[in-house]
Amino acid sequence: MIRNRWVLLVFRFIVGGVFIWAGALKAADPLDFAQTIKNYQAFPHILIFVIAIVLPWVEVLSGAGLIAGVLKRSSAFIAAVLLAGFIALVGSAVVRGIDTACGCFGNLSSKADLSLMGMDAVLLFMALNVLLAGRPLKPPTTGRMTAP
Amino acid sequence: MRLKKLAIGVLTIVVLSVVLGTAFHFSLVKRFFCGEFRTSFVDVRQYPGIVFITRAEVEDLFRGGQAVVVDSRAHAEYAAGHIPGALSVPLDSPERALADLAAKYPAGQPLVVYCEGGDCQTSAALARLIHDRGFRDIKVYQGGWTDWTSAGLPVEAAQ
Repeated sequence: MIRNRWVLLVFRFIVGGVFIWAGALKAADPLDFAQTIKNYQAFPHILIFVIAIVLPWVEVLSGAGLIAGVLKRSSAFIAAVLLAGFIALVGSAVVRGIDTACGCFGNLSSKADLSLMGMDAVLLFMALNVLLAGRPLKPPTTGRMTAP
Repeated sequence: MRLKKLAIGVLTIVVLSVVLGTAFHFSLVKRFFCGEFRTSFVDVRQYPGIVFITRAEVEDLFRGGQAVVVDSRAHAEYAAGHIPGALSVPLDSPERALADLAAKYPAGQPLVVYCEGGDCQTSAALARLIHDRGFRDIKVYQGGWTDWTSAGLPVEAAQ
């Protein structure tokens, strides 16, 4: 686990920036985002609408939290959960042979494929590092000195 | 204590997101609860010329010969097989084909747009682009290619 504060700061800015950008593009056109989610054929219709209205703002707020350092660990936790969910969703689309845009960046979205899963995995690694960086270090194990 | 703080933070972000999402898109939320967007998420106010149709309706139009059928899938998929007489307007590079379509047909020409199937995004997305070109009679075939072929209807491959 990476504990260098400068590296973690870079991770926060990358994940936060991507989340704010992705969330803002989706929030600008929630119906387009809803249509994209529908194409994954994984959620009931009413849930798709709720996701399309709420999820972009979750992304924007957690991204802003990561960059500003406000609710940093909660933001990193949300980012990690969302990224793990995106990987699972894209994976299931690939397995089921669904040919669709990922819907990650509104109209600028790329295809939902293995390269996208790779990019999400890199972001997930960064988010997990930020999330777990605040954990206290394990105390050193105390070995008993024995007299020769 | 650390977990409690984490959970409170997560809850705060989620609740704020619900409030912001509802506030920013209040009219959409209201329209959804009044019964709109129950079959598709295409905004009929923004795209009044787009309707979603079933295979039976496509068959009627196909037999009548009035509608032009548009295939929104990638060119390789179109080349492997498509609805007879369909034009290829692949969503991944639509500009040239859209310009040809607009030059060849009047704005009132009925069009049927389809993609792979299963409420696929590409046909609805292409329908919006066609609508932006001035066409006002666009029908999206929701079942798409999968539904068409599973019903044993005629197909055609590119030369």
